[in-house]
Amino acid sequence: MNFTLKPLARSLGLAAALLLAATSLQAQNKGGTLRYAAISEPAPLDVMLTTAGVSVAIGMHIFEGLYTIDSKYVPQPMLAEGETISDDGKTIVITLRQGVKFHNGKEMTSADVVASLNRWGKFGVRGKLLMEKATSLEATGPYEVALKLSEPNGAWKSLLATIEGGPAIYPSEIADKATDKPIEQTDYIGTGPYKFGEWRPNRYVELVRFDDYVARSEPGDGYAGKRVAYFDKVQFIPVPDVGTRVSGVQAGDYDYSETISGDLFDQLAADPSVVIHRAGVPLFGLFFMNSKEGILKDNYALRRAIQMALGKDQAMRVSFGPEALWKAQGSIFPPGNFWYSEAGIEAYNQHDAAKAKEMALAAGYDGTPIKLLVSTNYQAHFDQATVFVQQLAEAGINVQMNVVDWATLLKMRGEPSQWDIFVTHHGVPPDPILVTFLNDGYPGWWTSPEITALKKEFTGTADLAKRKEVWDRIQALFYEQVPAMKVGDGYAFDIISPKLDGLGETTVIWPTFWNASFK
Amino acid sequence: MLSFIVKRVLSMLLSLVVASVIIFAFIHLIDGDPVYIMLGDTATPEQADALRRSLGLDQPIFVQYVLWAERVLHGDLGTSLFFQAPVTTAIRDGAETSFLLASLTMVWIVLMGVPIGMIAAMKHGSWLDQGLSGVAMMLASVPTFWVGLNMILIFAVWLQWFPSSGYPSIFEDGGLANLRYLLLPSLTLAAPNAALILRLTRASMLDVAREDYVRTARAKGLKPWPVVTRHIFRNALLTVVSAFGFTFAALLSEAVVTETVFALPGIGRLVVQSIQNRDYPVIQGIILVVVVIYLVINLIVDISYRLLDPRVELQ
Repeated sequence: MNFTLKPLARSLGLAAALLLAATSLQAQNKGGTLRYAAISEPAPLDVMLTTAGVSVAIGMHIFEGLYTIDSKYVPQPMLAEGETISDDGKTIVITLRQGVKFHNGKEMTSADVVASLNRWGKFGVRGKLLMEKATSLEATGPYEVALKLSEPNGAWKSLLATIEGGPAIYPSEIADKATDKPIEQTDYIGTGPYKFGEWRPNRYVELVRFDDYVARSEPGDGYAGKRVAYFDKVQFIPVPDVGTRVSGVQAGDYDYSETISGDLFDQLAADPSVVIHRAGVPLFGLFFMNSKEGILKDNYALRRAIQMALGKDQAMRVSFGPEALWKAQGSIFPPGNFWYSEAGIEAYNQHDAAKAKEMALAAGYDGTPIKLLVSTNYQAHFDQATVFVQQLAEAGINVQMNVVDWATLLKMRGEPSQWDIFVTHHGVPPDPILVTFLNDGYPGWWTSPEITALKKEFTGTADLAKRKEVWDRIQALFYEQVPAMKVGDGYAFDIISPKLDGLGETTVIWPTFWNASFK
Repeated sequence: MLSFIVKRVLSMLLSLVVASVIIFAFIHLIDGDPVYIMLGDTATPEQADALRRSLGLDQPIFVQYVLWAERVLHGDLGTSLFFQAPVTTAIRDGAETSFLLASLTMVWIVLMGVPIGMIAAMKHGSWLDQGLSGVAMMLASVPTFWVGLNMILIFAVWLQWFPSSGYPSIFEDGGLANLRYLLLPSLTLAAPNAALILRLTRASMLDVAREDYVRTARAKGLKPWPVVTRHIFRNALLTVVSAFGFTFAALLSEAVVTETVFALPGIGRLVVQSIQNRDYPVIQGIILVVVVIYLVINLIVDISYRLLDPRVELQ
């Protein structure tokens, strides 16, 4: 009897689940304008070229790539249907979804993909990581492209799934003529659920729902799966003052305000007029060491002495406030992430001034001032640097802070003679190969023979278990050679209006305004 | 007369050239450049160099100046590196907000500063005078951003009478009703300035009140009110009105903080943001326009002086 009832029960259960899903879908209303208070005006929205925060947050609604990441940071197909890889890992054939429309009405085909990947490989901010080793890229059919590499790249899918500075697919006529300059506003044509509307300087960037959007069928997960645009329009409004971003949501003038300061967390958590939207994935501060020039070049022992002096938890408390917003942990990737590793992390948070002093002396440190370059545009950077300078002084290590604005810092850090340590922060990328300290062209210039060999090993295989094992060794080397010091995981928080639906807990960096609506 | 005008115009053009060189040099002398802000933190120096080349920022500064000056002479102030629209459009858009904000602020300043100043002067030395002067001192000393944030909290968040921030143009949906967006910012900006005008009105009325003709007016039996309105106020107003001019000009530059707190798309915020981003065409364009406005006003003033008084010579 049981035997016969089980399938029936199962079908009933399925029917109930479908009904529930249908009701919950019906519950989401189409319409309205979502007003997003952003910290600043964006840079141009050419997402292939830029990793600038606000630009990416906006651009990812307009443009899509062949792949994207799900809530666990695993690459999933977006414009791609699937792929086959040759046994030697050097030929990747990607089939495309059919019937996908660009915002100008044209259907996306392999010609657009080839043109876009070529442009990304040549000029994209992260394009060289994959395309440098490409021997050919061809359209092998209207909905099929073949990428041939001179050596296998285990991170290929993660690289194609990257949102910021990643290979978005542009129409071929736009990608073909695009150079290393950002594309014009008239060329902001993608395949995303929202299309570019207008950009009024200092007022807003407006996106409009793309009614011909062809969604995937899988349920939404992270950035992957089905995307449904419910809002008629989404406006990204620059609101530089954090107090105004908060009041704006409380007063009902904005529906979403990004990057609220930690000292307001407890107060806002108790405020029924707003809902706290804490990032599920951290940003982490990085203090880069100069491996090209100056007192810290090749002096790994002195770098370890510096790290020994630092109490990262103190810096995190000062810069982030409530403990709900930070975690002083040493793995580059956060707990729960596939790439989380405990290799080397015992050196992360020692805070032992006496031992640091001893180690510094042994490393030949003679009291020469160490030049620390930091900007005040990010309050957390400055707070962390101030704590560390004090801790280092207790260990007899003399640090001179050079405080400049962000634009100046970005210029100065490219000149090795100007600094010994500079301060920045980093997000959690889809693949470790995208972490900036592994990019030997990035200021810091970590190019020791050990890391060069490990990187080759890391990208040379597609076997995840093997790659994870190499990553453990890379992280151990990170604590041994100290190309940069991790400060800790800081969780930014945004506030949203209680009127919004569908913006639940998230583990991805940028908020997405598809699958979200007004109640 | 013609030679006077020609000489004056020539000297103005010379000033303009000198000013444009100074503007250009100073802006490009600030460290940092726009390319990293455009590309983001991940870009390598090689990528930044490539973009710098494409934008022509690797050229010697005088070459960049000549190219820019040539475009300006053709009426083209260039295109923003960030929002990719003509600088003239951005200036026009920002000018509307800034001008309306300053005008509305002036209305509050006149409506609050002058009458209250008059009352304080008439009740000179009384508790009312002391109280009003105290409030004025407080308003003049409190930082604008603090007043602004409290205005938002009280009138936008708690009472919900006015919008908290932003400003859609009066030429868009909503029309003149959109001026309500400027009410809280203009009151915020008016507070310290109204306090100053109040004190100025009070002081100059007290000065005038000590003049002989006021004593004469009183001596011939005029009632107190006509003495105040016809004799004291009218004469005291001369000083106050001349201060309005300076105040209006000062409002345009003081507005930066208010524009930031209320997220208004005004010129002040446009300049500050463009400096942070090193959006050279926008900074150069705005400063040049301001310089031209000042030079033209000076020219008109000089010419009208000459028309009014032919003895004025060009030195």
